[in-house]
Amino acid sequence: MASSVASLPIGGLRTSQGKQITLRDLLGWSVDHKVIGVQYGITALIFFIIGGTLAMLIRWELLTPALDLMANGSAYNSLFSLHGTVMIFLWIIPMGAAFGNYVVPLQLGAKDMAFPWLNAFAFWMIPPAGFFMLLGWFVGPPEAGWTSYPPLSTMFTPDGQTMWAISLHLLGISSILGAINFIVTIANMRPEGMGWFQMPLFCWAILATSIIIVMATPFLAGALTLLILDRVAGTAFFNPAGGGDVLLWQNIFWFYSHPAVYIMVLPAFGIISEVLSTHSRKPIFGYRMIALSSMAIAVVGFTVWAHHMFTALTPTLRIPFMITSMIIAVPTGIKVFSWLGTIWGGKIRWTSAMLFALGFLSMFVIGGINGVMLGSIPFDLHVHDTYFVVSHLHFVLFGGSVFGLFAGIYHWFPKVTGRMLNERLGKLHFALAYPSFFLTFFPMQIAGILGMPRRVAIYAPELQQWNVLISIASFVLGISTFVLLYNIVISVRSGKIAGANPWRALSMEWATTSPPPATNFIGDPVPYKDPYGYGTKESAAYLDTIEKRFGETEPGAGEKAGQALEVPSGD
Amino acid sequence: MQQDVMEPQLSRQELLTLKNRRTGMAIFQISWIMVFVCLILVNLQVRNNFTSWPPEGVAKLGLGLPTLATLMLLASGFFVYRALKAVQADQAFSPSWRMALALGAGFILIMAWEWLNAPVTADVNQQYGVVFRVMTAFHAIHALVIGLYMFRVDRFRAYYNARNSWAVEAGAKLWYFVIAAWIMFYTVLYWI
Amino acid sequence: MNRPSSSPGINIVPLIIIAVVVIIGGIVLSTFAPLFFPAQGSAQAQQIDTLFQVMLAIGGGLFLLVQFLIFYSAIRFRIKDENDRSDGPPIHGNNTLEIVWTAVPAVVVVILVIYSYAVFSAIQTPLENEYTVEVLGRRFAWTFTYTAAPDVLDPATGLPVEFSDGNLYTYVGQNLRLEMTSVDVNHAFWVPEMRIKQDLLVGRITEMRFTPIIATGPAEDGLYYPQAGFPIRCAELCGDGHGNMGLISTLVVFATQEDYQAWFDARVFEGLNPPDDPAVFGEQILAAAQYPCAGCHTLTDLGWAGITGPNLDGIGDRADDRVGGESAESYLINSLRHPQRFIVPGFSSALMPQFVEDNPDDRNYMPDQDAVAIAAYLCTQTTTGESACSVDELNAVAASEVTQTGTGAQ
Ligand code: HEA
Ligand code: HEA
Ligand code: CUA
Ligand SMILES: [Cu+2]
Repeated sequence: MASSVASLPIGGLRTSQGKQITLRDLLGWSVDHKVIGVQYGITALIFFIIGGTLAMLIRWELLTPALDLMANGSAYNSLFSLHGTVMIFLWIIPMGAAFGNYVVPLQLGAKDMAFPWLNAFAFWMIPPAGFFMLLGWFVGPPEAGWTSYPPLSTMFTPDGQTMWAISLHLLGISSILGAINFIVTIANMRPEGMGWFQMPLFCWAILATSIIIVMATPFLAGALTLLILDRVAGTAFFNPAGGGDVLLWQNIFWFYSHPAVYIMVLPAFGIISEVLSTHSRKPIFGYRMIALSSMAIAVVGFTVWAHHMFTALTPTLRIPFMITSMIIAVPTGIKVFSWLGTIWGGKIRWTSAMLFALGFLSMFVIGGINGVMLGSIPFDLHVHDTYFVVSHLHFVLFGGSVFGLFAGIYHWFPKVTGRMLNERLGKLHFALAYPSFFLTFFPMQIAGILGMPRRVAIYAPELQQWNVLISIASFVLGISTFVLLYNIVISVRSGKIAGANPWRALSMEWATTSPPPATNFIGDPVPYKDPYGYGTKESAAYLDTIEKRFGETEPGAGEKAGQALEVPSGD
Repeated sequence: MQQDVMEPQLSRQELLTLKNRRTGMAIFQISWIMVFVCLILVNLQVRNNFTSWPPEGVAKLGLGLPTLATLMLLASGFFVYRALKAVQADQAFSPSWRMALALGAGFILIMAWEWLNAPVTADVNQQYGVVFRVMTAFHAIHALVIGLYMFRVDRFRAYYNARNSWAVEAGAKLWYFVIAAWIMFYTVLYWI
Repeated sequence: MNRPSSSPGINIVPLIIIAVVVIIGGIVLSTFAPLFFPAQGSAQAQQIDTLFQVMLAIGGGLFLLVQFLIFYSAIRFRIKDENDRSDGPPIHGNNTLEIVWTAVPAVVVVILVIYSYAVFSAIQTPLENEYTVEVLGRRFAWTFTYTAAPDVLDPATGLPVEFSDGNLYTYVGQNLRLEMTSVDVNHAFWVPEMRIKQDLLVGRITEMRFTPIIATGPAEDGLYYPQAGFPIRCAELCGDGHGNMGLISTLVVFATQEDYQAWFDARVFEGLNPPDDPAVFGEQILAAAQYPCAGCHTLTDLGWAGITGPNLDGIGDRADDRVGGESAESYLINSLRHPQRFIVPGFSSALMPQFVEDNPDDRNYMPDQDAVAIAAYLCTQTTTGESACSVDELNAVAASEVTQTGTGAQ
């Protein structure tokens, strides 16, 4: 085998040093998927800070059982309504799209996405839509939670609710357009020699995500259309006084929003597969099962929506949804155990990316097991709409999706900027975030079981001790985010030069310079036969060739990309 | 479809672009038809809250004109298909295309009339008329926008030929979409 | 992808040890659960708690297993030397393992589904001798309506006596059935001690049932729980006063049926023999929370602490000059009949229900007699304790105002 190494047609035949993405690129219209990916990422991070600030206000208010920080209940209600909406629709989902945009074409050896113009268009819907939603503060913000159940959301909330709905409409359309783009790119633009089952798992994850988006998001569009009509045109779809039905919204909304939780977590699953395998230098365990379980999750995910309505639905109708909800544990379990199989016996590097990936595994499993408990109707009757649910959703969304996205940031930052993130700061970030995350959200389960409803600013005084603990931990968690932001800001200008392939990874995005040239590859690149084929002489030889051809991780390579200010840094 | 006759003339890049566009269009159609499915489910759930449909005292919508409109729409589908074949064979597609446009316009006019005359009452029973209006209006907006796009294609008809026919194909496929969505709506609104 | 079916000689002994540790660990974890339970207040709660403990044992075991594998791998397989460039073994999978970790969760899930279903149908089936209380939720208060035995008739209507209260009363062992609906938005009825929750939906009637097994009241041999009763929480976001709605009403469980009956009979008697003094009558109505005022207003004498609506402490002193040209009588009666007329600055106009007098079936029905009584009581809320208005004048204003269903805001 080794003899064929020299002739491996890897990456591009030649390459040129890529151009750094500048601020001007980011602020302008660009159809380059790499620029768009970074635009998505930065926009999402900005909204993360906004959503996080709202969370800090929530926690501040909840330090005491009385209403003190906020003027009244409505003001508090708008805090978590916007916190939930911003985090989900303007942070998690766009951040998944950010990685999808940047990484998928590179992993496929493609020059760009299938529809570059559409891609840019989909992105540029997001900042105005998000801005428009936040403008709601000036006319009275939405107050009905991110789930916005009518009649509260149709008859008792100010005009900001309409703006909320319009904004979500735009965000939904944007994500549908993005998803179409991903599916077409993945289906049609794989290179010669990359069958479906040679595709990196991140692409599988984005494919599964996109299929869910394409099938489910239209239901959000339908529901929002009716909500807007009820609010502005006097129809009565959700108003029983006019012959409407309050459960109609809940059914359509959850028919979208349960699959949507997998839209939020599948990209993180994809990232985890890449990071765990690469940073423990071992092939992914059970590739086919991981790929197919994404699809299984996507399919079964469409049949569970009413587990959010266990306390509203006719009792007999609840049972099928309990069964399907619990079944989801099986494909997810396959993934979790396959990841454990991947790291078992590997050569694990404690890079920041790896730490966050491991943090993801450990926290997501807690959230998932909570989910299965919630799926059990009798128990859900007790904890529905309590802090137990708040805990579950943050374990899967923050401990799951967000830790996964953080891992992705540490993993792909060198590719995007050509520079490494500071590892010491990365570890500090993890050391702060992991325990404070657990201490923020785990006590919520206890508070929930003890009797703390969610969405309240005033609560029973005997629950104060738990809330104080939660709030203090959450402030530490908030501060830990600044470590990441600071790290990004300093590393963009003065991080260590990364070279093409700092992690010695086999997937194709690493077989070109960092950052990649405008067309990613020159000529038609050929992928290494197995994106996770670590541990063989052949793959080692391939990686050595890449290093020779595109430059190693060392100071000096590609100096022209920016002034290398040497900053005291860890490794 | 029989595009292979012409397509060898296209470069590899052009072929990929065309393939992408076709896949993209198909996925878009699958996706957006879901909004219509959603409205159908809404219709079914709304009527589920009434003992009879239409509710007591509300007149059932007449079948005559809408059926005529539906037939016109189906016919327009046929002409769109003819136009697409024509342009792919490097022949003039405009006559069939315009015929389709005219039939489409007829459809929209009839449905506008139906919309304006839908049974509207003030009380709980308004749901019958309201669901009808929301569904048909939602459909009509799509028909209108796509119709306008097709109109524009016709104005630039000189640019399109067998090598450059995507704009026509897209218009045609979007129009098929309008037809498919309408058949579903027609069945639900008038027959069940 | 070819997968060399490499089975690196799995040693069975550590596996068994791990399995045992995980199972025991899960069970140990689950025994901590009761520390974090609210009091086990109903027969249903016992079944649900056991279910939870079983799930916690399974989930806790899985949790321990996964965390152990993560931490063990992360530490055991960490490279020692920063410059070590070697890779791990090229293992791509193992069919046996994969089948096991698909099958085991599947079996666990099947067991959980069957068990949960059994518990659910047990707590859901109607019980014998159920007593039904009607529950009405609204922004932001609860109203519980009790019907007396069929032979206790109201002389005015000839129908069995009905009376309403802001708290829910029952006794140990009563099979209670709640028939619930809501006026405005969805709410959810939840008593953590009973472990049961059910949404109140606008335009629909929902039901729930439970059987309390512990009493509230003064503590005696540890069997009695909070004097004031178990708090009833609102668990569905309903707007501004949602949090407060979870703090104003309680579930009072009498220790014996006799205690309960005594309370019940007293309420029936009160209803049939209202006091003559309207101010006293007004206080009685308000204290029993027949009308949903407590959820929004503060009135210290009655223990109300709502903040969604204006504070009513000292209202008697302010009533006649709050709005120019309105007497205290007219101001107060009008505030019940047409709440949107005199909005106190800083409060929202849409919130207070309009109490109508023409339709007894209306949710917001309030006969003139009650309106006058309430206003008369509010007039006594002065610094001196002197009433600020005359009852005759109140009656006159009330008689001249005719408020019909469907004319006002809500
Ligand atoms: C990323 C987002 C995400 C993910 C992945 C999940 C995953 C799951 N969720 Fe969660 N969920 C939310 C986001 C998410 N959820 C949100 C946001 C809400 C609240 C919405 C609101 O009201 O605001 C919510 C609420 C919610 C409810 C409603 C609670 C209520 O309001 O009363 C329920 C009930 O069934 C539920 C169930 C589940 C289940 C069964 C899974 C499963 O997919 C979990 C599967 C994973 C595992 C099980 C762990 C790994 C598996 C193993 C280790 C194998 C062995 C395990 C077993 C045999 C148990 N979720
Ligand atoms: C991806 C999704 C996501 C993420 C990341 C988070 C992150 C956080 N969430 Fe959120 N949350 C939701 C999704 C998410 N949440 C959803 C969907 C709901 C339900 C909404 C509803 O009920 O409708 C919810 C509800 C919710 C509640 C319940 C409110 C209620 O029911 O009354 C609470 C309460 O503690 C909470 C807290 C937090 C905290 C402390 C964080 C922290 O982890 C955030 C940490 C991050 C930062 C803080 C960013 C950096 C900070 C700054 C730059 C600001 C300055 C910092 C300081 C002042 C220290 N969230
Ligand atoms: Cu009523 Cu919340
Ligand atoms: Cu769900």
